[in-house]
Amino acid sequence: MTMEEKMGVSSREDDGKDQFPNGMRVLAVDDDPICVEVLENLLRKCRYQVATTNQAITALKMLRENRNRYYLVITDVNMPDMDGFKLLELVGLELDLPVVLLSAHSDTELVMKGITHGACDYLLKPVSSEELKNTWQHVVRRKKPDSKDQIFAENRDKAQGGTGEVGQTLMSSSDKKFIKERKDQIEDEEDEGDDNEDENEDPSTQKKPRVV
Amino acid sequence: MERNPLRRQLQMMRKSFFDQGYLDDQFVQLEELQDEANPNFVEEVVTLYYRDSSRLILSIEQALERKPFDFNKLDAYMHQFKGSSSSIGAKKVKAESTLFREYCKSGNKEGCMRCFQQLKKEYATLRKKLEAYFQLARQAGPMETACRPK
Repeated sequence: MTMEEKMGVSSREDDGKDQFPNGMRVLAVDDDPICVEVLENLLRKCRYQVATTNQAITALKMLRENRNRYYLVITDVNMPDMDGFKLLELVGLELDLPVVLLSAHSDTELVMKGITHGACDYLLKPVSSEELKNTWQHVVRRKKPDSKDQIFAENRDKAQGGTGEVGQTLMSSSDKKFIKERKDQIEDEEDEGDDNEDENEDPSTQKKPRVV
Repeated sequence: MERNPLRRQLQMMRKSFFDQGYLDDQFVQLEELQDEANPNFVEEVVTLYYRDSSRLILSIEQALERKPFDFNKLDAYMHQFKGSSSSIGAKKVKAESTLFREYCKSGNKEGCMRCFQQLKKEYATLRKKLEAYFQLARQAGPMETACRPK
């Protein structure tokens, strides 16, 4: 399997043509029509596929209806129907998607609030294409560092499991499966890799020189 | 360089916007989004901005006349105004919005009112300049043909 396939592009309802991060589906939420217009075009320039809405409630509906559709949510913090922090909490709890917050203000308290509510980034408006170009990293980073295998395992579970369960976080069977798979993988690597630091091995039986 | 005199005039006008601090780099971001598929993107966004923000200006004006003064509401309006102004690169307008917010936070009613008058002036000035700019751009004709190296 190539890295791109592991990224789960093929397991989402997809064209399959684009290689991640190209074609990555993003949902952008902002009640300000100018910001939405500019953001949509900036994201398209980054070669993402963009859907937009100017209401947090609609955004939630779109995300719940198609749980596997979007990789990332970018949302303004200040919206009349529901504030961005609330949306962030709900998206995180129910859907476990990475959320990037946008705001015209960069007050430390607001940024702190965003991060503690689970935002994976907090960007100050106006955002530039440079900032958005690498935002796909949050999809890969989502759970832990070097979690590429995990994304694949999760997407496989999601694709098989259907709609999933409301309110249940992913600290469940898919995580346990991941941990087991990762463990097995590490053990396999250790068996094969004789040139590693064999600290637990009996030093007197060292036949091969250590690779420095 | 630019042989077409209208184009030259247009370039000078554009440069003056940046030199005099009316526009910042975000405007360039908009220009970069303009292409054959989206040939009037900048003008469209700016038009959208002026249409939408004039509503906001009116709301702020009404809120400033209301008693008692609702600083929270004013702050919320100004947050949106700042967001959209910064999205088109309106540098001076954005600066006034930031100042307005400071006055709101410190509960300074006089400060808010003075600042808002200044903000409206900057907003109107920029609008006139940009309207003249786009009108000249239309007269000068499309740029993509000869000069842009790819």
